[in-house]
Amino acid sequence: MKPSIQLRHLFAASLLLCGMPISASQAQQPAVAQPAASQAVPPPPAYTPRAKDALPVEDTPAQREALAAWKAKAEQKAQEARQDHNSEVTPTYNFHYGKKNPFTPGNIQVQGAGFIQPGAFPTAEYCGTCHQEAYSQWRQALHSNAFRTPFYRTSVNILIRDKTRGIAFTRHCDSCHNPIGVISGALTEDSKVDRARFDSDGLTCTTCHSVLSLDSTNGNASLQMGVPAVIVDEKGERIPGMVPFDMILRHPERHSKAVMHDFLRTPEFCAACHKANLPATLNDYKFIRAFTAYDEWQQSKFSQRNPLTFYQADFTTCQDCHMKRAANTYPEYGAKNGTFASHRWLAGNTAVPFYYGFDEQLSKTIDFLRSGNYLNVDIFALKKQNEDKLIAPLGRVAYNLAPNDVIEAYVVVQNKNIGHSLIPEVRDLYEAWTEFVVEDQSGNEIYHSGFLKPDGMLDPRAHSFTNRPVTDQGEFVDNHKVYTIHSVAYDNTVSAGRSVLVRYQFRVPAGIKGAISLSARIDYRHLRQSYLNNIFGTDHPAYPVVELASRTRTLNIGDNQPEDPDPADNQDWIRWNNLGIALLDQQQYQEAVQAFTEVIKLRPLYVDAYINVGLTEISWEKYESARTAIRHALSLDPDSARGLYYDGLLQRRAGNTEQEIADFRNVVEKFPQSRDARRELGITYYQQHNNTAALEQFEALQKIDPDDLTAHYNLSILYRRMGKPEEAAEQQAMFVDKKVDPGAPTYSLDYLRNHPEISTESIPWHLHSDIEDKSGAVEHGR
Amino acid sequence: MAGDIYLNPLSSRGMRGALLAVLLAALPAVAHAANNCPWINEATASGLMGGDAVGVYTDPAPAQSAVCTFVQSEAGITRILRITVMETAEFRSVFDTESKVCVTLGAPLIAIGNEAIVCSGDDRKKLYAERVVGRVRNQVFTITLSTSRKDDSILTRSELKARILTAAEQVSGNLF
Repeated sequence: MKPSIQLRHLFAASLLLCGMPISASQAQQPAVAQPAASQAVPPPPAYTPRAKDALPVEDTPAQREALAAWKAKAEQKAQEARQDHNSEVTPTYNFHYGKKNPFTPGNIQVQGAGFIQPGAFPTAEYCGTCHQEAYSQWRQALHSNAFRTPFYRTSVNILIRDKTRGIAFTRHCDSCHNPIGVISGALTEDSKVDRARFDSDGLTCTTCHSVLSLDSTNGNASLQMGVPAVIVDEKGERIPGMVPFDMILRHPERHSKAVMHDFLRTPEFCAACHKANLPATLNDYKFIRAFTAYDEWQQSKFSQRNPLTFYQADFTTCQDCHMKRAANTYPEYGAKNGTFASHRWLAGNTAVPFYYGFDEQLSKTIDFLRSGNYLNVDIFALKKQNEDKLIAPLGRVAYNLAPNDVIEAYVVVQNKNIGHSLIPEVRDLYEAWTEFVVEDQSGNEIYHSGFLKPDGMLDPRAHSFTNRPVTDQGEFVDNHKVYTIHSVAYDNTVSAGRSVLVRYQFRVPAGIKGAISLSARIDYRHLRQSYLNNIFGTDHPAYPVVELASRTRTLNIGDNQPEDPDPADNQDWIRWNNLGIALLDQQQYQEAVQAFTEVIKLRPLYVDAYINVGLTEISWEKYESARTAIRHALSLDPDSARGLYYDGLLQRRAGNTEQEIADFRNVVEKFPQSRDARRELGITYYQQHNNTAALEQFEALQKIDPDDLTAHYNLSILYRRMGKPEEAAEQQAMFVDKKVDPGAPTYSLDYLRNHPEISTESIPWHLHSDIEDKSGAVEHGR
Repeated sequence: MAGDIYLNPLSSRGMRGALLAVLLAALPAVAHAANNCPWINEATASGLMGGDAVGVYTDPAPAQSAVCTFVQSEAGITRILRITVMETAEFRSVFDTESKVCVTLGAPLIAIGNEAIVCSGDDRKKLYAERVVGRVRNQVFTITLSTSRKDDSILTRSELKARILTAAEQVSGNLF
């Protein structure tokens, strides 16, 4: 017997589903008793999937005629409903940005003229009749809860209550969080729209599946929303609104054509909302990039579009990680071979399932976060005070440890297999950090960094993978008032594929007996405690903290001998390589070269090791030795796009323009979507006064990254030279809007000056210590 | 069932009658112009009540609640959605007091505000109602959705139970 699921019309559905067994210790409330009746959804209408190569069913003339009549009636009905809706909504709608821009500051556009009435969107319950697996997953997922959660509402309500802004400005946020609210014209003072129709469903089935096209990769909902249709006719023309299920089941191929556009499977579709900026229309200041998971993916090894990554991987999209196929539990006509692409979109949000009591979503989210070998934590080395020698890689070399030794521990955290940064997106709210504990064999704490205080706040001196946006008064934007952000005091996220070195200093106790243990773990929670306090006050339960990865090592007092590596440990050459990457990013160039040289010793034929030495020396401005390293890399692999790119830079330095162009062209041919190669080749052509060729590169670059400043700047000049003043002015305006405000760093400095407990986090090379020097000061930031 | 009965101020016959008279007489003229309920708009209230509702909002007097009241009448049936919100440092005791308006303990509601309960019942005589008491930080809110007819085809008992939850999510969401 097929299982059935509980579905409900209206909002009660979500509460009923959240009434599934919950853990009393985790949920916001300890128990639930739902008064609303539920109804078990009957099995979906009978349907036998056709063979893969079966031809579509041929309609009889009478059936075609009936369909045409249905379509005509549906179109008329939809049109009249839209006209009526617009007549009701338009007169009092706040066209703050002019009648031509009803949805600004969001980028969303709609098919046809005017607002689209909420009733045009078939409900999730309608879709869920045949897609019960999708429905049950979606109901617990972030997309269905994109609007209604307190975590979001608290932020957007601040904007609504802001006396100089108001609800019209929330179209910026709601274009992605509540698109039906935006395009129906509900987001205005004195709204005439019944919000119960869509607020509870956030991104419902027929928002994503009604998108007709993607306008760009600008984000902020840069897409065109169509009038929803779940089927097309034999000519491929969309039939608006809901249709009887037998119409769909007779022509599933027409249903697919209406709702399953190819772009739904691309990262560019995700980019429409998983990329956001703060435009001047929102903040009355200037364009500020908020987050861009899409660009981070594009620059990662998983996109195979960037030749400059440190490691390589198979092509992997957002959907490959966040919509993995799995066996379906409920009847699901979208399943293929018994599996269905997950509509849970598992990622990092543990707060929403915790609040709603969605235990299944919560446990799957935690499993997801801990799966995939996403992070590697390596207690890589020890360094004794006043000694230059690095005891590394730890566990692979012999060393001696004595009481009273002052030890510096090198913890290398590798963003190994995440297709974006650690942590991505709203990193002023999410919190991941390193917890480092040193204990004696009795479990007595010798050193601890990254603990949670009794009030739930994180140790302020912890190494966290967060950022600190600040206002023009140098104050931390604690409550996500993004429109007040003017600068970022620091951003300690770890880009995809890169590593960070976190250094801890502690003293081995004088009377120590036995061994000591060093434990490093990456903890994560969603959300920061002070943000939760903004939402609920301080009387809320502790939200989940998830350990993402960890590593413990035991150190003997006295002699320590090499040991077998843990199965989860990286190979030695990767350990050195990651240290080199971390040191490079922390501008410790000499030490980085030494680390990469250790890789060469272990793998003398590994091309990238030489390139890593070369690119570090380019950053260090040691061009001659960089040249030697890159030449050696290219002698091993003349086709290395990565090697050719850095060779191009060195050829430019040497004035060998022909070779410089040849190198960059070679890279562009191999990686047409390499933004770095396009940019450098454009610059080279520009310097050679080859305007046409330069233009081609910068225009291509802008298609890859619409925010690239070099493209804006050079295109403004090139267009002017070519007699295109309007295009030139547009590019110039975008350059001025997007370039960093030269005054902004002063806001960051104000914040850091007032927060010495955290200011060292803005320094790439810093130390975590509680050892006092002779003056009594703690050696933070040494 | 006696255990479900609550003594809502609105269910006091005299108060209810007076208020209804005032609302029904005055609202059509003023409500559309003063549709400024901060927690739920008139269109949404109308959707919940099954027809065009008219509402008034009263600012809070010191130490008192702000109140939105929507009324919808048709075919001899009067449906009322009443929302009160009080901002108070004594939110714990106010929440408890409001909860006690239900004769029996209400059922805890998950994911409504910081905390919330729902109780169902009527006043034996003329109102068939659902009530939610909830809290968002230091704001205690109550929501009462009622109909004057037991056999109301729109606000049936099960619909009352479903729609009060929609109202609760709207109100608590706007209070965050």
